[in-house]
Amino acid sequence: MEFRLRPARDLGLAPGERLRSHAREAGLGSQVLRSLWRGGVGAYLRLAHRLEVTGRENLPATPPFVLIANHCSHLDTLALGSILQGEAGRRAHALAAGDVFFRTGATALFAAYAVNALPVWRKRTRAGEIATLRERLVEDRLVYILFPEGTRSRDGTMAPFQPGIGTLVAGLPVPVVPCRLEGCHAAWPADRRLPRPGKVRLTIGRPLDFSGLPNARAGWVEAAAACEAAVKALG
Amino acid sequence: MSTAFAHPVTVWIVGATLGLLLLAAAVIGLLSVTGRASLALRRELWLRLGSWCILLPLMLGPVLLGRVWTIGAVTLLGLACLREYDRATGLFREYLIVGVVVLGILLVNFAALDHWYGFFVALWPLTVGVIAIASLPLDRPAGYVQRTALGIFAFMLFGAGLAHLGYMANDPGYRPIVLLLLTAVALNDVAAFTFGKLIGGRKLLPATSPNKTLSGALGALLTTSVVVALLAGAIFAGTPMEHPALLLLFGAIVSIAGQCGDLMLSSIKRDLGIKDMGVLLPGHGGVLDRFNSLLLVAPAAFHFIHYSVGIGLEAPARLITGGG
Repeated sequence: MEFRLRPARDLGLAPGERLRSHAREAGLGSQVLRSLWRGGVGAYLRLAHRLEVTGRENLPATPPFVLIANHCSHLDTLALGSILQGEAGRRAHALAAGDVFFRTGATALFAAYAVNALPVWRKRTRAGEIATLRERLVEDRLVYILFPEGTRSRDGTMAPFQPGIGTLVAGLPVPVVPCRLEGCHAAWPADRRLPRPGKVRLTIGRPLDFSGLPNARAGWVEAAAACEAAVKALG
Repeated sequence: MSTAFAHPVTVWIVGATLGLLLLAAAVIGLLSVTGRASLALRRELWLRLGSWCILLPLMLGPVLLGRVWTIGAVTLLGLACLREYDRATGLFREYLIVGVVVLGILLVNFAALDHWYGFFVALWPLTVGVIAIASLPLDRPAGYVQRTALGIFAFMLFGAGLAHLGYMANDPGYRPIVLLLLTAVALNDVAAFTFGKLIGGRKLLPATSPNKTLSGALGALLTTSVVVALLAGAIFAGTPMEHPALLLLFGAIVSIAGQCGDLMLSSIKRDLGIKDMGVLLPGHGGVLDRFNSLLLVAPAAFHFIHYSVGIGLEAPARLITGGG
Protein backbone atom coordinates (compact mmCIF):
# COMPACT_ATOMS: atom_id res chain seq x y z
CA MET A 1 0.00 0.00 0.00
CA GLU A 2 1.26 3.43 -0.86
CA PHE A 3 -0.17 6.75 0.30
CA ARG A 4 -1.79 8.84 -2.41
CA LEU A 5 -1.11 12.34 -1.24
CA ARG A 6 -3.01 14.91 -3.28
CA PRO A 7 -2.28 18.49 -2.24
CA ALA A 8 -5.10 21.02 -2.67
CA ARG A 9 -5.40 22.09 -6.29
CA ASP A 10 -5.20 25.72 -5.18
CA LEU A 11 -2.03 25.27 -3.08
CA GLY A 12 0.37 28.19 -3.37
CA LEU A 13 -2.19 30.70 -4.68
CA ALA A 14 -2.36 34.11 -2.98
CA PRO A 15 -5.68 34.63 -1.11
CA GLY A 16 -7.27 36.96 -3.72
CA GLU A 17 -6.11 34.78 -6.58
CA ARG A 18 -7.48 31.69 -4.84
CA LEU A 19 -10.95 33.18 -4.46
CA ARG A 20 -11.18 33.64 -8.23
CA SER A 21 -9.48 30.38 -9.16
CA HIS A 22 -11.22 27.42 -10.77
CA ALA A 23 -8.87 25.28 -8.70
CA ARG A 24 -10.37 26.48 -5.39
CA GLU A 25 -11.22 23.59 -3.08
CA ALA A 26 -13.26 24.08 0.08
CA GLY A 27 -11.97 22.94 3.46
CA LEU A 28 -13.84 22.29 6.70
CA GLY A 29 -14.02 26.00 7.61
CA SER A 30 -15.59 26.95 4.28
CA GLN A 31 -18.06 24.08 4.55
CA VAL A 32 -19.16 25.17 8.02
CA LEU A 33 -19.69 28.76 6.80
CA ARG A 34 -21.59 27.50 3.77
CA SER A 35 -23.83 25.17 5.73
CA LEU A 36 -24.86 28.13 7.91
CA TRP A 37 -25.59 30.18 4.78
CA ARG A 38 -27.47 27.27 3.18
CA GLY A 39 -29.57 26.80 6.30
CA GLY A 40 -30.54 30.48 6.27
CA VAL A 41 -31.30 30.44 2.53
CA GLY A 42 -33.41 27.29 2.86
CA ALA A 43 -35.50 28.86 5.62
CA TYR A 44 -35.88 32.10 3.62
CA LEU A 45 -37.02 30.25 0.48
CA ARG A 46 -39.58 28.27 2.47
CA LEU A 47 -40.95 31.27 4.33
CA ALA A 48 -40.81 34.10 1.79
CA HIS A 49 -41.25 32.11 -1.43
CA ARG A 50 -43.07 28.94 -0.29
CA LEU A 51 -40.64 27.06 -2.55
CA GLU A 52 -42.36 24.04 -4.09
CA VAL A 53 -40.18 21.33 -5.61
CA THR A 54 -41.44 18.56 -7.88
CA GLY A 55 -39.44 15.75 -9.44
CA ARG A 56 -36.85 15.28 -6.67
CA GLU A 57 -36.68 11.60 -7.67
CA ASN A 58 -34.94 12.71 -10.89
CA LEU A 59 -31.86 13.96 -9.01
CA PRO A 60 -28.95 11.50 -9.33
CA ALA A 61 -28.17 9.77 -6.03
CA THR A 62 -24.51 10.83 -6.01
CA PRO A 63 -22.32 13.42 -7.74
CA PRO A 64 -21.08 14.25 -10.29
CA PHE A 65 -23.94 15.90 -12.16
CA VAL A 66 -24.89 19.26 -13.63
CA LEU A 67 -28.05 21.23 -12.80
CA ILE A 68 -29.29 23.64 -15.45
CA ALA A 69 -32.34 25.91 -15.50
CA ASN A 70 -33.90 28.99 -17.03
CA HIS A 71 -32.51 32.19 -15.50
CA CYS A 72 -34.56 35.19 -14.35
CA SER A 73 -33.11 36.26 -11.00
CA HIS A 74 -30.46 35.79 -8.36
CA LEU A 75 -32.98 33.59 -6.52
CA ASP A 76 -32.42 30.88 -9.16
CA THR A 77 -29.00 29.81 -7.87
CA LEU A 78 -30.25 29.80 -4.29
CA ALA A 79 -33.32 27.71 -5.20
CA LEU A 80 -31.31 25.13 -7.16
CA GLY A 81 -28.64 24.98 -4.45
CA SER A 82 -31.25 24.42 -1.74
CA ILE A 83 -32.45 21.11 -3.20
CA LEU A 84 -29.01 19.50 -2.91
CA GLN A 85 -28.45 17.48 0.25
CA GLY A 86 -25.41 15.91 1.89
CA GLU A 87 -22.49 15.12 -0.38
CA ALA A 88 -24.09 16.80 -3.42
CA GLY A 89 -24.64 19.97 -1.38
CA ARG A 90 -21.03 20.00 -0.20
CA ARG A 91 -19.67 19.46 -3.70
CA ALA A 92 -21.93 21.99 -5.45
CA HIS A 93 -20.44 24.95 -7.28
CA ALA A 94 -22.51 27.63 -8.96
CA LEU A 95 -20.88 28.89 -12.14
CA ALA A 96 -21.36 32.63 -11.79
CA ALA A 97 -20.57 35.64 -13.97
CA GLY A 98 -17.07 36.78 -13.04
CA ASP A 99 -17.80 40.41 -13.96
CA VAL A 100 -20.72 40.53 -11.51
CA PHE A 101 -19.70 38.28 -8.61
CA PHE A 102 -15.91 38.39 -8.64
CA ARG A 103 -15.27 42.04 -9.49
CA THR A 104 -14.41 43.32 -6.01
CA GLY A 105 -12.80 41.56 -3.07
CA ALA A 106 -15.99 41.73 -0.97
CA THR A 107 -18.26 40.22 -3.63
CA ALA A 108 -15.65 37.59 -4.44
CA LEU A 109 -15.45 36.63 -0.73
CA PHE A 110 -19.22 36.28 -0.60
CA ALA A 111 -19.43 34.39 -3.89
CA ALA A 112 -16.63 32.02 -2.91
CA TYR A 113 -17.51 31.31 0.71
CA ALA A 114 -21.33 31.54 0.77
CA VAL A 115 -22.34 30.36 -2.69
CA ASN A 116 -19.16 28.38 -3.47
CA ALA A 117 -19.25 29.98 -6.91
CA LEU A 118 -16.63 29.56 -9.60
CA PRO A 119 -16.23 32.50 -11.97
CA VAL A 120 -17.12 32.35 -15.65
CA TRP A 121 -15.67 35.26 -17.60
CA ARG A 122 -18.30 35.81 -20.27
CA LYS A 123 -17.07 36.10 -23.84
CA ARG A 124 -13.46 35.58 -22.78
CA THR A 125 -13.43 32.11 -21.26
CA ARG A 126 -10.17 30.38 -22.16
CA ALA A 127 -9.99 26.78 -23.39
CA GLY A 128 -7.78 25.91 -20.41
CA GLU A 129 -10.45 27.07 -17.97
CA ILE A 130 -13.09 24.88 -19.63
CA ALA A 131 -10.65 21.96 -19.51
CA THR A 132 -10.10 22.52 -15.76
CA LEU A 133 -13.85 22.68 -15.11
CA ARG A 134 -14.42 19.45 -17.08
CA GLU A 135 -11.55 17.68 -15.32
CA ARG A 136 -12.70 18.73 -11.86
CA LEU A 137 -16.33 17.80 -12.57
CA VAL A 138 -15.30 14.18 -13.11
CA GLU A 139 -12.22 13.76 -10.88
CA ASP A 140 -13.52 15.69 -7.85
CA ARG A 141 -17.08 14.46 -8.42
CA LEU A 142 -18.62 17.91 -8.31
CA VAL A 143 -22.07 19.33 -8.93
CA TYR A 144 -22.27 22.39 -11.17
CA ILE A 145 -25.25 24.73 -11.13
CA LEU A 146 -25.43 26.86 -14.26
CA PHE A 147 -27.75 28.83 -16.45
CA PRO A 148 -27.04 28.22 -20.13
CA GLU A 149 -28.84 31.40 -21.27
CA GLY A 150 -25.73 33.23 -20.08
CA THR A 151 -27.57 36.06 -18.34
CA ARG A 152 -30.77 36.80 -16.46
CA SER A 153 -33.87 37.25 -18.61
CA ARG A 154 -35.11 40.84 -18.43
CA ASP A 155 -38.77 40.00 -19.17
CA GLY A 156 -39.11 36.48 -17.77
CA THR A 157 -39.05 34.67 -21.14
CA MET A 158 -36.34 32.11 -21.76
CA ALA A 159 -33.55 33.10 -24.17
CA PRO A 160 -31.76 30.57 -26.45
CA PHE A 161 -29.12 28.48 -24.66
CA GLN A 162 -25.45 29.28 -25.38
CA PRO A 163 -23.21 26.40 -26.51
CA GLY A 164 -21.14 26.93 -23.34
CA ILE A 165 -23.08 24.19 -21.53
CA GLY A 166 -22.06 21.81 -24.31
CA THR A 167 -18.36 22.60 -23.91
CA LEU A 168 -18.62 21.51 -20.27
CA VAL A 169 -20.46 18.22 -20.68
CA ALA A 170 -20.17 16.90 -24.26
CA GLY A 171 -18.48 13.50 -24.18
CA LEU A 172 -18.47 13.22 -20.37
CA PRO A 173 -20.28 10.46 -18.47
CA VAL A 174 -21.96 13.10 -16.29
CA PRO A 175 -25.78 13.47 -16.23
CA VAL A 176 -27.26 16.91 -16.88
CA VAL A 177 -30.46 17.56 -14.94
CA PRO A 178 -32.82 20.07 -16.56
CA CYS A 179 -34.85 22.22 -14.17
CA ARG A 180 -37.58 24.77 -14.67
CA LEU A 181 -38.10 27.72 -12.34
CA GLU A 182 -41.36 29.67 -12.16
CA GLY A 183 -42.10 32.74 -10.09
CA CYS A 184 -38.50 33.95 -9.78
CA HIS A 185 -38.96 36.75 -12.29
CA ALA A 186 -41.96 38.15 -10.41
CA ALA A 187 -40.16 37.79 -7.07
CA TRP A 188 -36.86 39.38 -8.09
CA PRO A 189 -36.75 40.91 -11.57
CA ALA A 190 -33.34 42.02 -12.82
CA ASP A 191 -34.15 45.71 -12.28
CA ARG A 192 -34.95 45.36 -8.55
CA ARG A 193 -32.25 45.65 -5.92
CA LEU A 194 -33.92 43.26 -3.49
CA PRO A 195 -36.41 40.38 -3.81
CA ARG A 196 -40.05 40.56 -2.72
CA PRO A 197 -42.04 37.61 -1.32
CA GLY A 198 -43.81 35.46 -3.89
CA LYS A 199 -44.43 31.81 -4.76
CA VAL A 200 -41.53 29.98 -6.50
CA ARG A 201 -41.94 26.59 -8.18
CA LEU A 202 -39.06 24.34 -9.21
CA THR A 203 -39.60 21.35 -11.47
CA ILE A 204 -36.77 18.83 -11.86
CA GLY A 205 -36.70 16.87 -15.11
CA ARG A 206 -35.13 13.54 -16.07
CA PRO A 207 -31.35 13.57 -16.47
CA LEU A 208 -29.84 13.93 -19.95
CA ASP A 209 -26.82 11.94 -21.11
CA PHE A 210 -24.26 13.55 -23.43
CA SER A 211 -21.48 11.00 -23.04
CA GLY A 212 -21.89 9.91 -26.67
CA LEU A 213 -21.45 13.39 -28.13
CA PRO A 214 -18.11 14.57 -29.54
CA ASN A 215 -16.31 17.24 -27.53
CA ALA A 216 -16.29 19.60 -30.52
CA ARG A 217 -18.43 22.38 -31.96
CA ALA A 218 -21.12 20.03 -33.33
CA GLY A 219 -21.42 18.21 -29.99
CA TRP A 220 -21.57 21.45 -27.99
CA VAL A 221 -24.36 22.88 -30.14
CA GLU A 222 -26.33 19.63 -30.04
CA ALA A 223 -26.01 19.39 -26.25
CA ALA A 224 -27.11 23.01 -25.81
CA ALA A 225 -30.14 22.46 -28.07
CA ALA A 226 -31.12 19.30 -26.20
CA CYS A 227 -30.79 21.11 -22.84
CA GLU A 228 -32.91 24.01 -24.07
CA ALA A 229 -35.62 21.67 -25.35
CA ALA A 230 -35.62 19.70 -22.09
CA VAL A 231 -35.99 22.83 -19.92
CA LYS A 232 -38.70 24.22 -22.22
CA ALA A 233 -40.59 20.91 -22.05
CA LEU A 234 -40.85 21.30 -18.26
CA GLY A 235 -42.71 24.61 -18.60
CA MET B 1 4.02 46.42 32.22
CA SER B 2 6.18 45.94 35.30
CA THR B 3 5.06 42.27 35.52
CA ALA B 4 5.71 41.67 31.82
CA PHE B 5 9.29 42.89 32.10
CA ALA B 6 9.89 41.71 35.67
CA HIS B 7 12.68 39.33 34.69
CA PRO B 8 15.91 40.79 33.28
CA VAL B 9 16.12 38.00 30.63
CA THR B 10 12.75 39.19 29.24
CA VAL B 11 14.19 42.69 28.88
CA TRP B 12 17.39 41.34 27.28
CA ILE B 13 15.54 39.20 24.74
CA VAL B 14 13.00 41.85 23.73
CA GLY B 15 15.75 44.48 23.61
CA ALA B 16 18.06 42.28 21.54
CA THR B 17 15.21 41.42 19.14
CA LEU B 18 14.31 45.08 18.60
CA GLY B 19 18.01 45.92 18.23
CA LEU B 20 18.45 43.21 15.59
CA LEU B 21 15.45 44.48 13.62
CA LEU B 22 16.84 48.03 13.65
CA LEU B 23 20.30 46.76 12.69
CA ALA B 24 18.85 44.72 9.83
CA ALA B 25 16.87 47.74 8.60
CA ALA B 26 20.04 49.88 8.77
CA VAL B 27 22.10 47.29 6.83
CA ILE B 28 19.46 46.83 4.15
CA GLY B 29 19.02 50.61 3.99
CA LEU B 30 22.77 51.00 3.50
CA LEU B 31 22.75 48.35 0.76
CA SER B 32 19.91 50.22 -0.92
CA VAL B 33 21.60 53.65 -0.69
CA THR B 34 24.97 52.44 -1.89
CA GLY B 35 23.39 50.17 -4.51
CA ARG B 36 25.65 47.29 -3.44
CA ALA B 37 22.97 44.61 -3.72
CA SER B 38 20.80 43.83 -6.73
CA LEU B 39 17.28 45.24 -6.81
CA ALA B 40 15.79 41.75 -6.57
CA LEU B 41 17.87 40.88 -3.49
CA ARG B 42 17.02 44.20 -1.82
CA ARG B 43 13.30 43.64 -2.44
CA GLU B 44 13.56 40.13 -1.00
CA LEU B 45 15.40 41.44 2.07
CA TRP B 46 12.87 44.24 2.69
CA LEU B 47 10.03 41.75 2.23
CA ARG B 48 11.53 39.40 4.80
CA LEU B 49 12.18 42.25 7.24
CA GLY B 50 8.63 43.51 6.73
CA SER B 51 7.27 40.05 7.53
CA TRP B 52 9.40 39.90 10.68
CA CYS B 53 8.13 43.34 11.76
CA ILE B 54 4.57 41.98 11.70
CA LEU B 55 5.45 38.50 12.93
CA LEU B 56 7.59 39.42 15.94
CA PRO B 57 4.94 41.53 17.72
CA LEU B 58 2.46 38.71 17.06
CA MET B 59 4.90 36.19 18.59
CA LEU B 60 6.35 38.19 21.49
CA GLY B 61 3.26 40.36 22.19
CA PRO B 62 0.97 37.60 23.54
CA VAL B 63 3.78 36.22 25.73
CA LEU B 64 4.32 39.64 27.28
CA LEU B 65 0.58 40.29 27.64
CA GLY B 66 -0.09 37.23 29.79
CA ARG B 67 -1.07 33.60 30.23
CA VAL B 68 -4.44 33.67 28.45
CA TRP B 69 -2.98 35.58 25.48
CA THR B 70 -0.10 33.14 25.19
CA ILE B 71 -2.36 30.06 25.18
CA GLY B 72 -4.75 31.81 22.76
CA ALA B 73 -1.90 32.59 20.38
CA VAL B 74 -0.59 29.00 20.54
CA THR B 75 -4.12 27.72 19.78
CA LEU B 76 -4.38 29.96 16.70
CA LEU B 77 -0.88 28.95 15.61
CA GLY B 78 -1.83 25.26 15.91
CA LEU B 79 -4.98 25.79 13.82
CA ALA B 80 -3.04 27.79 11.20
CA CYS B 81 -0.42 25.01 10.99
CA LEU B 82 -3.18 22.40 10.64
CA ARG B 83 -4.81 24.35 7.81
CA GLU B 84 -1.57 24.51 5.84
CA TYR B 85 -0.71 20.89 6.52
CA ASP B 86 -4.14 19.51 5.65
CA ARG B 87 -4.24 21.44 2.37
CA ALA B 88 -0.73 20.33 1.45
CA THR B 89 -1.30 16.66 2.25
CA GLY B 90 -4.89 16.50 0.96
CA LEU B 91 -6.22 15.60 4.43
CA PHE B 92 -8.53 18.66 4.16
CA ARG B 93 -10.88 16.59 1.99
CA GLU B 94 -11.58 14.37 5.03
CA TYR B 95 -13.87 16.75 6.89
CA LEU B 96 -14.59 14.30 9.68
CA ILE B 97 -10.94 13.67 10.54
CA VAL B 98 -10.06 17.36 10.27
CA GLY B 99 -13.03 18.16 12.53
CA VAL B 100 -11.73 15.76 15.20
CA VAL B 101 -8.21 17.17 14.93
CA VAL B 102 -9.58 20.73 15.31
CA LEU B 103 -11.56 19.62 18.35
CA GLY B 104 -8.45 17.91 19.76
CA ILE B 105 -6.37 21.07 19.30
CA LEU B 106 -9.04 23.18 20.98
CA LEU B 107 -9.41 20.73 23.89
CA VAL B 108 -5.71 20.27 24.56
CA ASN B 109 -5.27 24.05 24.63
CA PHE B 110 -8.32 24.31 26.88
CA ALA B 111 -6.63 21.87 29.25
CA ALA B 112 -3.60 24.18 29.21
CA LEU B 113 -5.82 27.18 29.91
CA ASP B 114 -7.52 25.31 32.73
CA HIS B 115 -4.11 24.26 34.07
CA TRP B 116 -5.30 20.65 34.31
CA TYR B 117 -2.31 18.46 33.59
CA GLY B 118 -4.22 15.18 33.97
CA PHE B 119 -6.66 16.13 31.19
CA PHE B 120 -3.84 17.64 29.09
CA VAL B 121 -2.02 14.29 29.12
CA ALA B 122 -5.17 12.15 28.81
CA LEU B 123 -6.16 13.94 25.61
CA TRP B 124 -3.20 12.59 23.64
CA PRO B 125 -4.22 8.92 23.51
CA LEU B 126 -7.92 9.72 23.68
CA THR B 127 -7.86 12.03 20.67
CA VAL B 128 -5.74 9.53 18.76
CA GLY B 129 -8.40 6.93 19.54
CA VAL B 130 -11.21 9.18 18.34
CA ILE B 131 -9.32 9.96 15.12
CA ALA B 132 -8.87 6.23 14.57
CA ILE B 133 -12.59 5.50 14.90
CA ALA B 134 -14.03 8.76 13.48
CA SER B 135 -14.15 7.59 9.87
CA LEU B 136 -15.32 4.02 10.56
CA PRO B 137 -19.04 4.86 10.16
CA LEU B 138 -18.31 6.06 6.60
CA ASP B 139 -17.78 2.39 5.72
CA ARG B 140 -15.00 3.45 3.36
CA PRO B 141 -11.93 1.31 4.21
CA ALA B 142 -10.03 2.54 1.14
CA GLY B 143 -7.55 5.16 2.36
CA TYR B 144 -8.29 4.43 6.05
CA VAL B 145 -4.63 4.10 7.09
CA GLN B 146 -3.67 7.24 5.16
CA ARG B 147 -6.37 9.54 6.56
CA THR B 148 -6.02 8.20 10.10
CA ALA B 149 -2.22 8.47 10.05
CA LEU B 150 -2.30 12.00 8.62
CA GLY B 151 -4.84 13.01 11.26
CA ILE B 152 -2.85 11.56 14.17
CA PHE B 153 0.38 13.14 12.89
CA ALA B 154 -1.41 16.51 12.67
CA PHE B 155 -2.89 16.30 16.17
CA MET B 156 0.37 15.16 17.75
CA LEU B 157 2.36 17.99 16.14
CA PHE B 158 -0.02 20.97 16.15
CA GLY B 159 -2.16 19.97 19.12
CA ALA B 160 -0.41 17.83 21.71
CA GLY B 161 3.13 18.99 20.84
CA LEU B 162 2.63 22.69 20.31
CA ALA B 163 0.23 23.10 23.25
CA HIS B 164 3.20 22.48 25.58
CA LEU B 165 4.38 25.97 24.69
CA GLY B 166 1.12 27.46 25.96
CA TYR B 167 1.03 25.16 28.99
CA MET B 168 4.32 26.70 30.19
CA ALA B 169 2.43 29.97 30.69
CA ASN B 170 0.88 28.39 33.81
CA ASP B 171 4.20 29.00 35.55
CA PRO B 172 4.35 32.54 36.94
CA GLY B 173 7.90 32.85 35.61
CA TYR B 174 7.06 31.63 32.07
CA ARG B 175 7.82 34.80 30.12
CA PRO B 176 11.62 34.60 29.84
CA ILE B 177 11.46 30.81 29.20
CA VAL B 178 8.91 31.03 26.35
CA LEU B 179 10.63 34.07 24.85
CA LEU B 180 13.93 32.20 25.05
CA LEU B 181 12.47 29.24 23.14
CA LEU B 182 10.84 31.46 20.50
CA THR B 183 14.01 33.38 19.82
CA ALA B 184 16.38 30.42 20.25
CA VAL B 185 14.79 28.51 17.35
CA ALA B 186 15.18 31.61 15.16
CA LEU B 187 18.81 31.96 16.28
CA ASN B 188 19.28 28.25 15.53
CA ASP B 189 18.08 28.78 11.93
CA VAL B 190 20.23 31.86 11.43
CA ALA B 191 23.32 30.17 12.93
CA ALA B 192 22.88 27.08 10.71
CA PHE B 193 22.55 29.31 7.65
CA THR B 194 25.54 31.47 8.58
CA PHE B 195 27.93 28.61 9.46
CA GLY B 196 26.81 26.73 6.37
CA LYS B 197 27.62 29.72 4.17
CA LEU B 198 30.91 30.54 5.92
CA ILE B 199 32.33 27.02 6.18
CA GLY B 200 30.30 24.98 3.69
CA GLY B 201 31.50 21.43 3.18
CA ARG B 202 29.60 18.19 3.40
CA LYS B 203 25.84 18.26 2.93
CA LEU B 204 23.80 17.12 5.93
CA LEU B 205 20.95 15.23 4.22
CA PRO B 206 21.12 16.24 0.55
CA ALA B 207 18.01 14.37 -0.58
CA THR B 208 15.91 15.94 2.18
CA SER B 209 17.25 19.47 2.16
CA PRO B 210 19.98 20.21 -0.40
CA ASN B 211 21.05 23.53 1.18
CA LYS B 212 21.82 22.28 4.69
CA THR B 213 25.41 21.43 5.58
CA LEU B 214 26.99 19.45 8.40
CA SER B 215 29.02 22.52 9.37
CA GLY B 216 25.83 24.56 9.59
CA ALA B 217 24.17 21.96 11.80
CA LEU B 218 27.18 21.72 14.15
CA GLY B 219 27.67 25.49 14.18
CA ALA B 220 24.02 25.95 15.13
CA LEU B 221 24.29 23.25 17.80
CA LEU B 222 27.29 25.01 19.33
CA THR B 223 25.91 28.55 19.12
CA THR B 224 22.39 27.77 20.30
CA SER B 225 23.56 25.48 23.12
CA VAL B 226 25.87 28.15 24.51
CA VAL B 227 23.46 31.09 24.12
CA VAL B 228 20.53 29.13 25.57
CA ALA B 229 22.68 27.80 28.41
CA LEU B 230 23.82 31.32 29.34
CA LEU B 231 20.31 32.81 29.28
CA ALA B 232 18.75 29.75 30.94
CA GLY B 233 21.45 30.06 33.62
CA ALA B 234 20.04 33.49 34.46
CA ILE B 235 16.45 32.20 34.36
CA PHE B 236 17.00 29.04 36.44
CA ALA B 237 19.49 30.48 38.95
CA GLY B 238 18.97 28.90 42.36
CA THR B 239 17.10 25.85 40.98
CA PRO B 240 18.30 22.27 40.36
CA MET B 241 18.76 23.24 36.69
CA GLU B 242 21.53 25.69 37.58
CA HIS B 243 24.24 23.09 36.84
CA PRO B 244 26.25 24.02 33.70
CA ALA B 245 25.98 20.49 32.26
CA LEU B 246 22.20 20.55 32.58
CA LEU B 247 22.02 24.01 31.05
CA LEU B 248 24.18 22.97 28.10
CA LEU B 249 22.10 19.82 27.67
CA PHE B 250 18.96 21.99 27.66
CA GLY B 251 20.52 24.21 24.97
CA ALA B 252 21.52 21.17 22.92
CA ILE B 253 17.97 19.76 23.17
CA VAL B 254 16.55 23.06 21.90
CA SER B 255 19.01 23.12 18.99
CA ILE B 256 18.64 19.47 17.99
CA ALA B 257 14.83 19.45 18.31
CA GLY B 258 14.71 22.69 16.33
CA GLN B 259 16.85 21.33 13.51
CA CYS B 260 14.92 18.05 13.47
CA GLY B 261 11.64 19.99 13.18
CA ASP B 262 13.10 21.79 10.18
CA LEU B 263 14.22 18.53 8.56
CA MET B 264 10.85 16.96 9.34
CA LEU B 265 9.03 19.69 7.41
CA SER B 266 11.59 19.41 4.58
CA SER B 267 10.79 15.68 4.37
CA ILE B 268 7.06 16.39 4.26
CA LYS B 269 7.55 18.94 1.48
CA ARG B 270 9.89 16.68 -0.52
CA ASP B 271 7.47 13.80 -0.20
CA LEU B 272 4.65 16.04 -1.47
CA GLY B 273 6.80 17.66 -4.13
CA ILE B 274 6.10 21.23 -3.02
CA LYS B 275 8.46 24.10 -2.17
CA ASP B 276 6.55 26.06 0.47
CA MET B 277 3.65 25.04 2.67
CA GLY B 278 1.78 28.29 2.07
CA VAL B 279 1.96 31.93 1.01
CA LEU B 280 0.85 33.70 4.18
CA LEU B 281 4.22 35.20 5.12
CA PRO B 282 5.90 37.00 2.21
CA GLY B 283 9.58 36.05 2.04
CA HIS B 284 9.11 33.06 4.38
CA GLY B 285 6.42 30.93 2.76
CA GLY B 286 3.73 29.56 5.04
CA VAL B 287 3.25 29.56 8.80
CA LEU B 288 4.75 26.07 9.00
CA ASP B 289 7.84 27.14 7.06
CA ARG B 290 8.47 29.64 9.85
CA PHE B 291 7.36 27.66 12.91
CA ASN B 292 8.46 24.11 11.99
CA SER B 293 11.35 24.18 14.48
CA LEU B 294 9.05 25.01 17.35
CA LEU B 295 6.89 21.89 16.89
CA LEU B 296 9.41 19.52 18.45
CA VAL B 297 11.15 22.08 20.68
CA ALA B 298 7.97 22.85 22.64
CA PRO B 299 7.39 19.35 24.13
CA ALA B 300 11.12 18.53 24.43
CA ALA B 301 11.94 21.73 26.33
CA PHE B 302 8.76 21.49 28.41
CA HIS B 303 9.50 18.01 29.71
CA PHE B 304 13.16 18.76 30.35
CA ILE B 305 12.16 21.71 32.55
CA HIS B 306 9.25 19.76 34.01
CA TYR B 307 11.51 16.91 35.17
CA SER B 308 14.28 19.22 36.35
CA VAL B 309 12.40 21.94 38.25
CA GLY B 310 8.68 21.52 37.52
CA ILE B 311 6.32 23.88 35.70
CA GLY B 312 3.60 25.81 37.48
CA LEU B 313 3.83 23.62 40.59
CA GLU B 314 2.84 26.47 42.90
CA ALA B 315 0.19 27.94 40.58
CA PRO B 316 -3.50 27.14 41.19
CA ALA B 317 -4.78 24.25 39.03
CA ARG B 318 -8.12 23.60 37.27
CA LEU B 319 -8.92 27.28 37.10
CA ILE B 320 -12.04 26.82 34.93
CA THR B 321 -13.31 23.33 35.75
CA GLY B 322 -12.63 23.71 39.46
CA GLY B 323 -11.85 20.83 41.79
CA GLY B 324 -8.10 21.48 41.74
